[in-house]
Amino acid sequence: MKNFTIAKRQIDSISVLDISGELDAHTASQLENSLKALIDEKQFKIIVNCSRLEYIASAGLGVFMAYIEDVRGLGGDIKLTNMNDRVYNVFDLLGFPTLYDIHDDEQEAIGGF
Amino acid sequence: MSPLTPSTEERHSRFELRTLLETSRLLIESQDPDFVLNNLLLITMGKLLVPKGMILIHKPGDDAYFVSKSKGRGWLAEDDELKAEFPLSILETSVIYGEQYADVFETIGIDSGSVLFNLKTSNHHLGFLCLGPKGNKQPLTEHEVEFIESLTIISSVAIANSRMFQELRHINRRLDRKVHDLNTLLELSKDFNLMVDQNEIARSFKFAMLGQMLIRTFFFALDVQGEKRIVSISGIKEEPDAKQLDKLFQLDDVNHVDGTEDCPFLEENDIKLVIGLRFQNEKIGLVGVGLRATKEGYGDSEVNFLQSLGNLALLTIQKTLLLEERIEKERLEEELNLAKTIQEGLLPNPVPTIDGFDIEAINVSSRQVGGDYFDLLKLQDEGHLLAIADVTGKGVPASLLMANLQSMLHALAPLNVSLEEASGRINDIIHDNTPADKFITFFWGKISSDKRHFKFVNAGHNPPMLFRKGKSKPELLEEGGVILGAMPTLMPYECSEIDFESGDLLVFFTDGVTEAMNPDQTEEYEEERLIKCINKNREKSSAEIMTAVIDDINKFSDNIQYDDITMIVLKVN
Repeated sequence: MKNFTIAKRQIDSISVLDISGELDAHTASQLENSLKALIDEKQFKIIVNCSRLEYIASAGLGVFMAYIEDVRGLGGDIKLTNMNDRVYNVFDLLGFPTLYDIHDDEQEAIGGF
Repeated sequence: MSPLTPSTEERHSRFELRTLLETSRLLIESQDPDFVLNNLLLITMGKLLVPKGMILIHKPGDDAYFVSKSKGRGWLAEDDELKAEFPLSILETSVIYGEQYADVFETIGIDSGSVLFNLKTSNHHLGFLCLGPKGNKQPLTEHEVEFIESLTIISSVAIANSRMFQELRHINRRLDRKVHDLNTLLELSKDFNLMVDQNEIARSFKFAMLGQMLIRTFFFALDVQGEKRIVSISGIKEEPDAKQLDKLFQLDDVNHVDGTEDCPFLEENDIKLVIGLRFQNEKIGLVGVGLRATKEGYGDSEVNFLQSLGNLALLTIQKTLLLEERIEKERLEEELNLAKTIQEGLLPNPVPTIDGFDIEAINVSSRQVGGDYFDLLKLQDEGHLLAIADVTGKGVPASLLMANLQSMLHALAPLNVSLEEASGRINDIIHDNTPADKFITFFWGKISSDKRHFKFVNAGHNPPMLFRKGKSKPELLEEGGVILGAMPTLMPYECSEIDFESGDLLVFFTDGVTEAMNPDQTEEYEEERLIKCINKNREKSSAEIMTAVIDDINKFSDNIQYDDITMIVLKVN
C-alpha cells in the first residue's frame, strides 16, 4: 500500500487536515472521505496542511476541485498551506493558485478565515 | 582654465555617455518591457525637456498600434489603439520629421514639430517613440538626436530580448504542462493496471480529470452490452434519464456543446464538451466536462488529453469486465465439474455382474454433463432391473431431468409395482413437472429371478436389438407406449416378455450411437452399420463387441461426438 496518511486537528472553528506522503489516484479517495466527513459534520472552514506531502498527482488535486466550490457555497473554504516547491509546481502548472487560496504558512491561512 | 579641466562640451558629452551607459545597463538587465519603455520615455523627456511624449507599439498582423505610454495632454491616451499601417520606407527610417512626413504625423495625431524615433531591431519594427516639441520650441540638435537614437536602439534590443525571454518562458511553461499531462497519463496507466474494481477506476479517472482540467462538473457513462449507465459523476444536479443518455451517445465523438443538442441535461449542468470513446470502433463510453475554473476553453490539446485518458479508463474497465467474465466462467466450469461427478455417481459403477450373463455398459457424454441414463440394479426377489433412457436436449437441463428419473426409478424399484404401472406413474410425474418440450425416451426391463425371462416396457426409446443365436437379423423390442413426459398416461403402458436362450445377444443403445454423424455431417451411422458391426463381432465377449462398435462409430465420425453415447451389451451364457 502507498504511504499516505491524514491526521485531523481542530483550531477553534477551523479543521486542519495534516496530509503526508503521496496523494495520487490510489490515495485520492482517502482524502475524499476525510473531506466528506468534515462537510457532513458541517465543518466548512478547512485547512489542508501539506508540509509533509511529498507528491501530488492530478487525481489528488481533483479531490479539491470536487469539493472546494461546494464548501465555498456553504460559506467556508478549503485553504492549502505549507507546500514544498515540487508540490506547488503541480498546482501552479494546472492553474490552481490563481483561483484558490494557497498560503505559505498555516497561521496566515487561519487569519484568512 | 586649467588644461586638466574638461571643456563644457566634453563634460556634456561625458554626462551623456554616462547616462547612456547607466540606462543601457538598466534596460538590458530588465526583462520587463513596460519598465524599459517607461524609462525610455521619461529619460528622453527629462533630458530634452519635452512636455509631451508617447510610445506606440506595433501589433503585427492587426494593422494597428497600441499606445503603451503617453505623457502630457492632447495626444492619444495610454491603452488606446491606433489603426494604421505605414509603408516599409518609413518603417526603415530611424528618425522621422514632421516636415517630410506630414501624413504620418496626421495619422498619429501629433504636432508637426514633433519627432518620431523608430523602435526597431535589425529585422523587426517594434513601434515608435513620439516626442513633442521642446518646451522652448527649439528644434532638436544633431547631438540630441544622436543621443536619443542610441537610447532607442538600446531600448529596442532590450524589448526584443525581454519579448524573447517571455516567449521562452511561455514555451517552457507549455512544455512543463505537456510533460505533466504525459506524466498523468503514464502514472494512471500504471495505477489502472493495479486496479480490478470498476468503480475505483471510474473514480480515479474522475479525480484525474477534475484536477487536470480544473473542473468540478464531470460525468462518465458506459454502454455495457446495450445497457447505458452513468458510472462516475461530479457536480451534476440530476443524472440524465435513459432517453437523454441515448441522445448523448448519438452525439459526435467530439461535441462542443452549443445548445443545438436539444438535451436539457447538458444545459442544466453547464456541460461544455462531450467526448465519445470507442472500443473496436463501437462507441461504448462517454465523458462530459463542465466549465473550467480558469474560464479557458477546450482546445485541441485538451480534447486530445481527454480522449487519451478516457480511452485508457475505458480499456481498463473493459479489461476488468473480461476478467469478471472469465472468473464467472471458471466458477461455472467448476460447478459443472462438480455436477459431472454427481452425475457419474448416479450411474452404476462398476457395472454389476449377473450370474449367467456377460454384461458391459458405457456412457460417454459429449459435454461435461448429459441427458443419457442407464441403470442395472438387483431387486429383492433376486431379479434384476435394466434401464436405458435419453432426455431431450443436452447439458445441465437434461442432466437435471436425468437425475430426476434416476431417483424415481430407485424409489419405485423396491416396491411391488408392475413395470407397466410404474411406467405410467413416471410418465405422469414427468409430464406434470417439466415444460412441454421436455421428453424422455425410456426403455426398461426386468430379468426374472430364474434369469430365463425378460419383461420390458419401451416408452419411445430406440428399440433394443435382440440377436437370437444363429440369426444375423435382430428382433426389435418395441412394445410399450408413448415417450415419457409428452402427455398424461391416458392409455396404460403395455408390458411384453421374451425368453432368454443361451447365445442370445441383447444390445441397448441411445440415439447417440445410430445418429453419430460423418465429418461432412451429411450421413448418420444408422442401425444398418450397427447391425453389421455387431454381426462381425458376434462371437466375441460383450466388452469386445462394445469396443468394436465404439471404434467403428469413432472411425465413421472421425472422433467428433455431437451427442451422448450410451450402450449396454448383454450376452446370455
